[in-house]
Amino acid sequence: MIPSDHFVRFYNEVFKFLDEKKGLQAYYEEISRHQELHCLELFRSKGLQGVYDYYVTIRKEENCDLDLILNGHELILKMNKCPSLSKALDNDAGACRKYCLHCPGWTCGIYRKAGLYQVYALMGLTNPQCCEWIYDDLKLAKAKYRELAAVTPRDELFASFPPPA
Amino acid sequence: MLRYQENNELHRDFHGTTNTTLNYIAEHYGEEALKTILRKTGHDVYKSIREKLEKGDASELIEHLTWFFHREGAEFNLSVRENEIRFECLECPAHKHLKKLGLKISPFSCLQTLEVNKGMCEGTPWVASVEHLGDDHCVQVFRKKAAR
Repeated sequence: MIPSDHFVRFYNEVFKFLDEKKGLQAYYEEISRHQELHCLELFRSKGLQGVYDYYVTIRKEENCDLDLILNGHELILKMNKCPSLSKALDNDAGACRKYCLHCPGWTCGIYRKAGLYQVYALMGLTNPQCCEWIYDDLKLAKAKYRELAAVTPRDELFASFPPPA
Repeated sequence: MLRYQENNELHRDFHGTTNTTLNYIAEHYGEEALKTILRKTGHDVYKSIREKLEKGDASELIEHLTWFFHREGAEFNLSVRENEIRFECLECPAHKHLKKLGLKISPFSCLQTLEVNKGMCEGTPWVASVEHLGDDHCVQVFRKKAAR
C-alpha cells in the first residue's frame, strides 16, 4: 500500500511517465470522472456553497493553508501554501515540471458539468501558491479572465470555458 | 529517522485516486509500465530507505512501515530478525477505505506494495516479496540475500 500521506509523490511519478507519453490530458479527464464521486452532486445541488463546503473538508484533511472567500456569485480559493506541490518538492525523486497542471486539469471538467465557471491562475510551478475564482455567472467569469489575462503569463492562466478574446 | 515525517491530518480518499490510477495506467500502457512507475517510486522517492538498506540498516524501513500503517489505523504484526523482516497487515487500510467509498478494488492494488518494495530494495542485499493470506490480508517480507 502506498500510504495516503505519500500519494502525492506517487502521483508525481505518474505525471513524469505520462508527460513523456504525451498522455497527461487524458489522465486528468479520468481523474476528473473519478472525482465526480466525491463532489459533482454537491457542486450541482448547492452551487458555489457546495464548492465552499467541499474545500472546507479538503483544507482540513489535506492540511492546506487556504483562504476561502464566498462573495455572492464569486468564490475565491486562495492557496497560500499548497500541501500537494510542497510534498512533490520535498521529495528525493524531484518534482515533475508540470505538477501543478493536474489541478485545473481535473477540476475544470467537474465545474463544467456542475454549471460553474472557473478561472485559475498558477503562480509558477515551483511556487506552492495559486488562486482560483469560481462563478455561477459566465459574464463575471469572463470579466475576471480578461482582467487576469492582461497581467498573467499565458501558460499560468486557465479557464473552464472558452476564453474570451 | 524518517525522511518524510507526515504527522498531521490524513486524506484517505487518496486511496481512491491511487486505485483509479493503477487501473488507468495498466489499461492504457500495460502492466509492465505500471510496474516500472511503482518500482521507480520505491527506488527514487524512498531513496533514504534504500540507501540505508544498502548499508545493512533496515531501521528507516521498519519505522516507515509501522508509522504509516499506524497512521492509517491498521492492525499489524511486525517480526524483525537479522535476515528477515515480516510485516503482517491484517486488513489493508486502502482496501478498507475503497470498500467504504463503494469502489471496486483494482486487480493491480497489491502490485503497488510488491513493486514499491522491490524498488526500495534494488541494489541492496534485501529482496522484497509479499505473501497473500486473504483479499485484504498480507505479509510484506524483506529477506536478506545469503552472502556469497
